[in-house]
Amino acid sequence: MENTHITNSSTGTSAIELSGIRKTFTLSEDKNAQQVLALDGIDLSINQGEFLTIIGPSGCGKTTLLRIMASLILPDEGRVIVEGEAVSEPDIKRAMVFQTFGLFPWKTVLDNVVFPLIVRKYPAQQTREIAIQHIKQVGLEKFQNAYPHQLSGGMQQRVGLARALSTGADILLMDEPFGAIDAQTRELMQEELMRICQEEQKTVVFITHDLNEAVMLADRVLLMSRGPGQVREIISVNLPRPRTEYDVRAHQEFVRVRGHLWRELRNDLIEQRTEEMV
Amino acid sequence: MNLLATFKSRRVYLPILSLLVVLGGWELVGRSINPLLFAPPSSIIAMFGELIASGELLAAAKITMQALFLGYILAVIAGIPMGVLMGAWPRFGDILQPYLYAIFSTPRVVVVPLIIVWFGIGFEARLFLVFFWTAIAISVNTAQGVRNARPDLLEVARSFKVGRYQMARHVLIPGAVPFVISGLRIGAERAIVGVIIGEMFLQIVGLGGIITTASSQLLPAKMLCAVAVIAVLGTIIVTTLDMLEARFQVWRNDSN
Amino acid sequence: MKTLSRLETRRDQLIGVALFLSVWEVAAQLFDKPLLLPPVSAILTALWDLIISGELITALGESIFLLIVGLLVAIVIGFVFGTIIARSKTAYWMLNPYFSALFVTPTIALVPLVLVWFGFGFTGRVLVVVLAAVVPILFSVASGLRDAPGDLIDVARSFGVKGEIPLLFTVRLRAALPVLMAGLRLAAGRAVVGMAVAETYLRLGGIGGLIKSYGAVFRTDYVFASILPLSLLGILLVSGIGRIERRLKWS
Repeated sequence: MENTHITNSSTGTSAIELSGIRKTFTLSEDKNAQQVLALDGIDLSINQGEFLTIIGPSGCGKTTLLRIMASLILPDEGRVIVEGEAVSEPDIKRAMVFQTFGLFPWKTVLDNVVFPLIVRKYPAQQTREIAIQHIKQVGLEKFQNAYPHQLSGGMQQRVGLARALSTGADILLMDEPFGAIDAQTRELMQEELMRICQEEQKTVVFITHDLNEAVMLADRVLLMSRGPGQVREIISVNLPRPRTEYDVRAHQEFVRVRGHLWRELRNDLIEQRTEEMV
Repeated sequence: MNLLATFKSRRVYLPILSLLVVLGGWELVGRSINPLLFAPPSSIIAMFGELIASGELLAAAKITMQALFLGYILAVIAGIPMGVLMGAWPRFGDILQPYLYAIFSTPRVVVVPLIIVWFGIGFEARLFLVFFWTAIAISVNTAQGVRNARPDLLEVARSFKVGRYQMARHVLIPGAVPFVISGLRIGAERAIVGVIIGEMFLQIVGLGGIITTASSQLLPAKMLCAVAVIAVLGTIIVTTLDMLEARFQVWRNDSN
Repeated sequence: MKTLSRLETRRDQLIGVALFLSVWEVAAQLFDKPLLLPPVSAILTALWDLIISGELITALGESIFLLIVGLLVAIVIGFVFGTIIARSKTAYWMLNPYFSALFVTPTIALVPLVLVWFGFGFTGRVLVVVLAAVVPILFSVASGLRDAPGDLIDVARSFGVKGEIPLLFTVRLRAALPVLMAGLRLAAGRAVVGMAVAETYLRLGGIGGLIKSYGAVFRTDYVFASILPLSLLGILLVSGIGRIERRLKWS
């Protein structure tokens, strides 16, 4: 089997580069409340066109890290560099897909997808065309005028995906996007996401709870550990693409990577538990 | 399907059956004890016909509606901007909240003596009874709506770098709409009670006035006619707003 | 939007109240029309006078007694009929229209009828409180029992709880408690209104009577001084029940 998709780790600038990211949170509103170190010294370079999944125990700061990449929150220390430029605000190069979909219940599918475009004051006709094109891309052309509450969870997240794609951003930041979707729909959505990202050459950072999902989608898997959140390991997944054309889970590379990740994750969880008990 | 049909007919025939039983019983008992005092349904219907024919009921309803609608509209005009202000500027809202809550929790019948010294007993006094409490209900709910914008949607908007104006237009204002409508409904309930209090305790006019005069004339049938009109009026207004509220309910919850 | 801590909010509110009261006092002194706007000091003097003369305590006692009796009767009736319409669809369709009608009719409009039919004695006054308060209780009992958690009932049954009455006490009522408290909170607010209505319309008595009689002689300072404890009574009652309600919520 030939590796049809090559991660371009050798080419020029990274899509996202993080250096020395550190973030603390204050627990309650009292001034003398305790501080929690959520992320400590994260260094990471994500290549253009790469699909990076992030996995780790709950509370390891995955979502915080993603929100820092999106510039929704700022790190206390460290820098975020997107395509060669230091950033401190959300911009058009990055688009986020949310775990709870984040659709406006008062807007139709079309209006939800158009939203980021009208915010940027694109000409009306053009925004409509772009939006419709992406609604088609996720297979919802028949539901253009439906409201979110009329759609199933899977369909709602398709809208979320179409909305992110319509911005034309090169980088998709996805926070457990399929976490709230039933298992079978999720598999279909995974396939579609892989297809779209390959067609459009997107860089994707994808948080997940699900080991299979992490390995199946990724060029590289980032394993985090918690207390404080740190990079424990980054592991490459050398599975040929397109991965929809064979049974990925039966592939020995999949089995190897998954097994390795599970041992690491399990050790981390057990360590954590004994520490908590002491 | 058969089951559904039975169920559907049940919800029609049972209330009618029960109404017939109650009205029939009332008629029999009322007639045999004291037809004047216990106002059997036949006497109420006769009275209703009389009141319609003489135009008394219609004229009274008109007076009631005038104060009701004018006071309500003024309350909407004042209450929504006030609520937006209280929501957008939480400090102001927090400082104002205790007074509004205290006024709102005070039964209006006991405020009547104050209203008499401030506004007299005329139209203005009734208008105030409708306006003030309704405006409070609307503004408090609006403020809550503005303050309780869904954090997940705020974050979505921020991730697309939305400006202040766009944030208000696409996120904050539509998000507050269901709360405003709740305020409109609660306010309407308050408004109806307010206008009736005004008509019973201040100047004896309108539907409330009919109740008071009929009470002094010992004519329960006449009272019940006015009560029925008030109840129907209230039901129509509140049900309409209820339906509107239900329609916007999906805006409130996360849809998954 | 910056969120202020509770403490800061309380501080702001206290400053606000102090400012409001001083402005009132100064304005009322300058304006000098105690009939329209008595100064705060005059209201406090009146309040003090009402307290030491024992008038207020007597009136409050009478009002609270009426309120409690009325609420208790409303709770009993509400439970009985609430359970009936929750358990039987037939009863629901036969009775619900009356309760709905009662709910939308302003209690105040029914008071003259109560006067004609039941007189202005204690029975009449209790009835007014009941009419004001019963429907929220009744509806909350009905919806609380109807929406009983099926899974928990199955759990109880699978572990050997048998029969409707044991189930009612082990699962249904307990699960319905937050809803019941919400209904009670609503009812308490309306009961205070009913009490005030009964005391001003039927027979002058209690705190409502106090307010009305001072209003009749245009002693605005005394009117304010007696409204204050009434409002306080309502607020304390409703917020007290609200507090219990929040504690009972487990979801």
